[in-house]
This record gives sequence, C-alpha cells and structure tokens, in this order.
Amino acid sequence: MRKPRLLIVDDEIPFTANLLKLLSRRGYEVSAVNDGYSALRIVEEEEFDVVILDQKMPGMDGVTTLKELKKKRPHMEVILLTGRGSIESGIQGLQLGAFNYVMKPVPFPELLEQIVHAYERKVIEEERSQE
Amino acid sequence: MFGVGGLMFGQTKPAKGVNLQASDLHTRSYTKLLRKFILVSVTCSVLPLLLVGWISYLYYSQFSRSRMVDHFRRNVEYNRRIVESFLEERASDLRLVASTHSLGFLTDSSNLRETFHILNREGSYFADLGVIGEAGKHVAYVGSYDLMDKDYSVTFWFKEVMVKGVYISDMFEGYRKTPHFIIAVLCSKGDTNWILRGTIDTEFLSSLVETARLGQTGEVFLVNREGVYQTSPRFKGKIMDKMPLPMESFTGESGIIITDPIRSMGSVAPEIGTLISDLLKYGVMQSRSQQIVAYSWLKDPEWMLVVKQDFSEVFEDINHVNMAILVLLHISILAILIVSVFTARYMIKAIKKRDQEAEGLNRQLMQTSKLASIGELAAGVAHEINNPLAVILTESQVMRDITEEEQSVDGNFKEELVQSLSQVDAQVQRCSHITQNLLRFSRRMSASSQFVDVNVALKNVVGLLEKRANTCGVQISLDFQEKLPEICTDPFELEQVFLNLINNAIDAHEGRPYGSIHIATRFDSTRNGLVATVADTGSGISDEDIERVFDPFYTTKPVGQGTGLGLSISYSIVRHMGGEISVRSEVGKGTEFTLFFPCLDTEQSGIPEDSKKDKLDKKS
Repeated sequence: MRKPRLLIVDDEIPFTANLLKLLSRRGYEVSAVNDGYSALRIVEEEEFDVVILDQKMPGMDGVTTLKELKKKRPHMEVILLTGRGSIESGIQGLQLGAFNYVMKPVPFPELLEQIVHAYERKVIEEERSQE
Repeated sequence: MFGVGGLMFGQTKPAKGVNLQASDLHTRSYTKLLRKFILVSVTCSVLPLLLVGWISYLYYSQFSRSRMVDHFRRNVEYNRRIVESFLEERASDLRLVASTHSLGFLTDSSNLRETFHILNREGSYFADLGVIGEAGKHVAYVGSYDLMDKDYSVTFWFKEVMVKGVYISDMFEGYRKTPHFIIAVLCSKGDTNWILRGTIDTEFLSSLVETARLGQTGEVFLVNREGVYQTSPRFKGKIMDKMPLPMESFTGESGIIITDPIRSMGSVAPEIGTLISDLLKYGVMQSRSQQIVAYSWLKDPEWMLVVKQDFSEVFEDINHVNMAILVLLHISILAILIVSVFTARYMIKAIKKRDQEAEGLNRQLMQTSKLASIGELAAGVAHEINNPLAVILTESQVMRDITEEEQSVDGNFKEELVQSLSQVDAQVQRCSHITQNLLRFSRRMSASSQFVDVNVALKNVVGLLEKRANTCGVQISLDFQEKLPEICTDPFELEQVFLNLINNAIDAHEGRPYGSIHIATRFDSTRNGLVATVADTGSGISDEDIERVFDPFYTTKPVGQGTGLGLSISYSIVRHMGGEISVRSEVGKGTEFTLFFPCLDTEQSGIPEDSKKDKLDKKS
C-alpha cells in the first residue's frame, strides 16, 4: 500500500511545520496550510487522502471547513483536532463525516495510528465505490 | 492562571470577616426595626386609646358630678317643701278648728281633748293644744304640761299672732323650759278674740327632717334666720345652739356649697373661702374631707333646711365607676403593649428567618456563580494552553527523530536526551490532563439526561476502581437498597461524581496498611429522593479544610497528584441535578460524603424536554 497523501490545516504555524517535518521524514507526502480558505484552495489543485484539521481556527473554523471539504472531496478522510475537553464538538464532527477526532495535544504515535486507520478506510471505501 | 486562582481564594478569609460585620449590622438593624415597630403600634393604638379614655373619663366625671349636685339640690328642695307643707297643714288644721268651733265649745276641756285627738289621728303632730283668751290667759289646755295659769300676754308670739292672725314661732323654751315651737291662730267672732295654740311635737319635726338625710355622713337640720338650730344636728351641736357657720354664706333662696378645706374653689364666691376657714376654725368639719352643703329657705317660718354630706360619699359610686374605667383602660393599654411587643418580636423573628434563608440561597448562588466564572476562565486558559502543548509535543518528537537519525552522537548522550524527551512528553501529558479536567469542569451540563439506576452507576464505578483499592489494601463494601427508583441525569456525569468520591476515599488511606470504604444507597420517602453515602476509614479532613473541599483547585494532595477540581466538579454536577452533597469528617477516623438526588414524579413538569423525548423514543 502506498503512503497516503496528507494535508495539515492548523493556524498554529510551528505545529504545522513540525508535523510536516515529522510526517515527511516518515515518508508521507505532506502539505500544510494555515487556514480554511487555503485548505479549500489547495484541495482543488492537488489530491489528498487524509486531512488533519484543527477545529478552532480564525476565519473559517474547523467544522465549516470540514463541511466544505467533504462537499468537494467526499472520499477524502478528515481527522479533527479538537481543543475542547468535551465530546460534543467531536461528535458534531463525526456527524459531518469526519473519520475521527483526537484531543489536542495528541501524542504523535497516536496521530500516526489514526492516519493509518483513516487511510485504510479511505481505500476500502474507494474500492467499494469502484465495484 | 494559578496566580489568579490563588488571589481569588486568598480573598475568602477577609470575605468572612465582612460577613461577620454584616451579620452584626443585621442584628442592629433588627433591633432598630423592632423598636420602630413597637413605637408605631404604640403610637397608633395606645395614644388614641389613652386620649379617648382620659377625655371620656374627665367628661363623664364632670357630667356625673353635676348630675349628683343637681340631685342633691332637688333633694333639699323636695324636703324643704315637705317641711313647709307640713307646717302649713298644721296651721290650717288649727285655723279650721278655730273657725268651725266656738270658743265656748273649745273651752270645755273634754271637747278640746276630743279635738286634740282628732288632730293627732294621722300622726302625733301636736304635743299639746291650748285656747288662750284675749287677755293672754289659758282658758283651756290639753297636754302633758301644767300651763293653765300661765299668762302669755307678754310673750313675743302673743303679740305677733294678735297682729298677723297666724304665727309659727321659732324654737323657744318658754314656760316649760324645753325647746319647742308653736303654731298659733287668732280667731275673731264678733268682738271676742281668742287664740288657738298648738305646740308641734319636736320629735316629729326632727324625724320629718331626718328623712332627707343621705348616707353615712349625711346630716340634716333646720336653722332660723339667726343661725340657731331648730332641730338637733346629727353630729355636733344641739337644738337652740348657734350654728357655727356664718349666715351670710347662705345667699339666695337656695343653693349648693361645696366646701374644700384644702383648696378654695374657683367657681364659688370669695366669701366661701372665709366660710371654709370658719368651718375649720369652728371644727364643724370632723375630717378634713370635702363636703357638699345644700340649703333652701322655707317661706314661713323663715327657716333654712340644710343638708350636708361628705363629698367622697356622694361621689363614691361615681368614683368607683371612674376608677374601674381607668383601671380597665390601663389594663387594656398594658395588654396592647404586651401584645404589640410579642407581635413585633414574632414578626422580626419571621423576617430574620426569611433573611437567613435568602442569605443561604444567596450563598449557594454565589458558590454557583463563582464556579461558573472560574469555569469560564478555566476553559479559556485550558484551550489556549492546549495549542502550545501540542507544539511542544511535536517539537519533542522532532528532536527524538533527529537524535535517532544522527549517527555522530554518542550513545550515552543519546540515551539521556531520549530520557529527557520522554520526560517532556510526560509533563505535557500532565498539563494536558489538567486542561482536560478544567474543560470538563467548565462544561455546563450535557443535554443527554436519561433515567439512570444509581446502583448500576455505582457498581460500574466500583468495578473500575476495585483493583486499585485492593492494591492499596482498601476493602469496598456495598449496601444497596434494591429496586430504587431511577433518577433523571447524565449517566457519565453521575459516574464521574462517584468516581471522584471513591477515588478520594481510596487516596485517604494513603500511608495506612488497610481500611474500608462503605457505600450505601437508600430511598428517602420523606424528601422523595435517593440518598447515597460514601464513607471511608481514611485520614479525615481537618475543620479548616472541610469548609473549602468544594472550592475549585483546593487540594491537600501532593503537587502533581490532584488538580483540586474533582470535588468541585462533583459539587457542580450534583447541584445541577437539583441534588445536594454534604460532607462529615473526623480527623483520623474517616470521612463520609452524603449525596441526595431528587426523584422526579412522572406527573411533574420538572423533567427536561429531551428526557421526555428519550422516553417516547424508547417506547416507539
């Protein structure tokens, strides 16, 4: 299985930069943007398998971005990063079609695991739709 | 953040001081209110009553006094008329006898005796009866004295009767040497003149006059123009004596004199003043008491009827009535005073109780709002901290990656660095744990209320914690009442409350080899709710700590082991359910938390909308 193409959307630049570094080093094809509009723009140009999306961002917030992204690319899986300690916002994200949500700060191995699972699902879904 | 928290809780102590002052101020304002209340009720009820009472008392006593005086005056008038008519009748008796009988008939002593008896048939009016010739000699006589040979031609009354025709004399001693008075009529037939003379029985006159006497201190007597007693007064002096009162004080035909030995009365004439002093001088007044003296002049003879009585006796009944009125008045005022004091006390008590209840409610509200504002603050802070934490985590991962790739780094250094990085990770996780707790605390109630069995929730939590308890040497014993009614709440939150309490209970046994936790549930029918208790045999909570156990960030656990949020989260959850949580603890013996959850009647409208929906959903 080839490595998934990833998009990181978070307004915290050091965070996206670090994730970019870490994931590239592990052989992923990674892009990073810092707001929802840029994310919508970049998915027009390139194709991604999994998006790691921060829920709380200035401008367009995570949930709206998620809706828009799902409209454009229904098969693209999204992992929500929630800052809230509650499950409600996560559940809201799941209802809108996110693959899963993880609480910030998330340990890196856990995030990797989620990425793998998300990609697996995406592949399965794609295969099913092709049949 | 914690600086802010510290500042906030630092204020708790002085705030208490302010509370004390406030309650002191309250008691003062209550006393003031009480005084005001009593003052108002007294001015509104006692003063008018007193005013009305006193005015009617004064008016009534004046009225009744004048009535009594009037009555007294009428009495003396009436008796004067009786005496007057008695004398008139006797005079006309004699006139009738004189005009209907001839001198010859009357000089016969048996005839005269017959006539005497006829005159005295209705009463022994006459003491004797005599016929006196023109020369002043007795020609006939009936009576107990031997007066046949007496010559009356020189006496004062003989001359008077010869002039006037009818004469009623004053008291005199005459030939018989005892005080008496006579009625004489002149009879002229042709040129012979003779006189029919009757002596009135002094005793009879006295008894007649005495009928006017009133009461124990009353005194009645007759005096003539010169002030000489015509009847014997009851107390002092006797007939024919001179009355000690000066005659000039009796002005007019009749009148009333009220003697006052102490103060001269403004309403009586100035001469009464001298009268009073005379009265005192002559010793007429037996006591120095006030006397009422009524007098009335007879027309013929010119005598004066005097009726005297002690003032106090006259007005005795009135004074009794007045006294009763006054006593009643003052008793009722006293009663009003007592009642108003009691009412005021009672009302102040009620107000105080209401105030205290309001204060308690306020305190609860304060606690809730304190928790809410701290929660908001905490949420904001937690959220802002999460982002840097996330960056730190990735940063440490980056460093770990680099270290692993870098071949030139020496093994020991690498190992140390990795160790240090995992410590960074661990600390970030710790921070993350704190922020998660903060966010959970700040979160208001979730909307997912449903019917929950408290026993099941407790069993779940105990199942989670049993292992931990066992490793700490703590035994958990359960005492559940079966078939408890379900309560309406969020099951996760309920479990969190129990988790916090049982966790704390286990922690309380730190440093002890063994211990136990007793968990019990029961239904409280009087309050219609469930009571759950979590009691441990741990170290207990000190008195100063127990006041603050529900305050956020307040913890006695060592740094890094507790956020100080567990109990305040539990508190806000239970309060939000409409329940209560209370704690009782003894240092060294253990702690007992008691929780109360209200049961909702299905009829009651207190069930949240969504839970109703849940039920409907379940049914369908």
